[in-house]
Amino acid sequence: MKNKGLYVLLLPGVVFLTLFLVIPIVMTIASTFFQEGSFTVQGYLTFLTDPYNLKIVWTTLRVSFVTTIVCILLGFPASYYISKLGPRKKGILLALAIFPLLTSSVVRSFSWMIILGKKGLLNSSLLSIGLIEKPLEILYTPTAMMIGMIHLFLPLIIITLVGVMENIDPDLLKAAESLGASKFTAFRQVILPLSMPGLIIGSILVFVGSLTAYTTPALLGGKQGVISTFLYQNAITLNDWHMASVIATIMIVITFVVIGLMNKIAKKLNPKG
Amino acid sequence: MALLTLENVSVAYDNQYILENFHLNIEKGQLISLLGPSGCGKTTTLRLIAGFLEAKDGKFLFDGKDYTRVPVNKRNFGFVFQSYALFPHMSVYDNVAFGLRLRKVSESEVKTRVRNILDVVSLGGFEKRFPKELSGGQRQRVAIARALVIQPDLLLFDEPLSNLDANLRVNMRVEIRRIQQELGITTVYVSHDQEECFSISDQVAIMNKGVIEQLDDPATIFKYPKTEFIARFIGFNNFISFGERTEQNGEIGLRVGNHSFSAAHNPGTTNPGAKKCAMRPDDLIVTTEAEASQSENRLAGKVKISTFLGRSYQYVVETDLGDFTVNQEMETPYKSGQAVNLLFPKDKMVLVD
Repeated sequence: MKNKGLYVLLLPGVVFLTLFLVIPIVMTIASTFFQEGSFTVQGYLTFLTDPYNLKIVWTTLRVSFVTTIVCILLGFPASYYISKLGPRKKGILLALAIFPLLTSSVVRSFSWMIILGKKGLLNSSLLSIGLIEKPLEILYTPTAMMIGMIHLFLPLIIITLVGVMENIDPDLLKAAESLGASKFTAFRQVILPLSMPGLIIGSILVFVGSLTAYTTPALLGGKQGVISTFLYQNAITLNDWHMASVIATIMIVITFVVIGLMNKIAKKLNPKG
Repeated sequence: MALLTLENVSVAYDNQYILENFHLNIEKGQLISLLGPSGCGKTTTLRLIAGFLEAKDGKFLFDGKDYTRVPVNKRNFGFVFQSYALFPHMSVYDNVAFGLRLRKVSESEVKTRVRNILDVVSLGGFEKRFPKELSGGQRQRVAIARALVIQPDLLLFDEPLSNLDANLRVNMRVEIRRIQQELGITTVYVSHDQEECFSISDQVAIMNKGVIEQLDDPATIFKYPKTEFIARFIGFNNFISFGERTEQNGEIGLRVGNHSFSAAHNPGTTNPGAKKCAMRPDDLIVTTEAEASQSENRLAGKVKISTFLGRSYQYVVETDLGDFTVNQEMETPYKSGQAVNLLFPKDKMVLVD
């Protein structure tokens, strides 16, 4: 940049983020290593040695992972279709895809409760056509959490993928076909690797979003805890702020590890992306 | 027998015909250009041959076989795109090797064939580069190498030089012609640049509104356009529509009002009823001499506009038969308003439809 003075424009944002994000996070992490004035890792030992806690971490990771995979599987073909449309239809479909983001997650979770409940829409329909004999237990299970979060996060992956896919020159597919590639091979060797940046960013958004989501798992998961609800419980119900900070730190670490891993996979799949 | 034949082909988008009952024959080993203004159907024709779009009606024969419904990836035609369409996530080597690997060629043979073809396009040593690290001309050569390395039965170019700057364009077209002749590969070349088409082609097909108006070797088209559209397209700016036409002493007599002209038998159009003549600005002569030789057609007029073009002057001369544009080299130019005579050499008057 020619004019160094332009960095001044960054200043408000940097000051805000430092005061209200960086400093609190550093303080939270630091506080986990001190109890009654002396250095300790007791909080971490307590958390990691309790099988109940580990189960919560495991459930959280499993739900986030499945949510991400299903979002990719549902979002990829839809995004490809949308990216091929003319500007008018593309606008309409993108608006529809984003629509779930515009409603409150509380409202959305309650709708899912109505659909998935024991006497809900899904069970009564299945019972009435005789596909099942007694109601399925879906609500208040990890499955319900996944359904709610897939609904919540699918728009994120579609937006990022469409953004990347519409910049892929359609002549590339034609070029691959003229060189002898079937439509499927052309897709696998050209579209897929070139979509990878969007796929990775979308997946990170979905995974981190699912990992840290609170409302949806709290309302649809019932007693089945995830890290975020467990953190809330420790802080608000048990008033154990030290443990809550430990959990928060573990959550941050998991997030960074996952982002790092995904970037590594991305580099492997698309060395020039 | 022609290598490639399009028979009665029609292509339509949303019920609007781009090509209707279209015919084209191409001989083996030739480079044929499709030339015309945008929207004339040249790119559609090329994409149809490539297999990127399907004909609504008609037949496409290649080497005696019916190719009408053969999918793109089974045709073994090389296609060079205007945008080059190089795979941005692959190195030059992998781009060129793409078609060979799909053909299950052994990796060692891929290596020698890629090396050889990169030498042909003078890009030896560029294997590890990625497309975004290359200049426009280099990308174009990678695209050509990628199309050539599969030893295609037919090579197709879609405005391959229009994204290059003027100097590079001239070099590249010489290069394309050299490679095409070296490998003796039948080629269809689409462009809207006539100099480009005329300089590299064996045959040029000039298209207008989905029809080939003339298919001839470049020199013939340049001298003897068949239709008014082609004449205008290649720079015949002057036209006279005559009322009467007669044959006399092997010449064609033409009359309009009280002016009579005679023209040599020129193979512009063979239509015996054609009464329109086309003339290039460079072929007409402006003179102030009262009497010129009897063999010339003469028309009195006066200079309306005189423009200095560097090497020559351009005059617009106003006459009874309308305005004529003339380019002429001279020491002392005519002035605006000066009375002059316009001479029309008999052998430079081309009859067109």
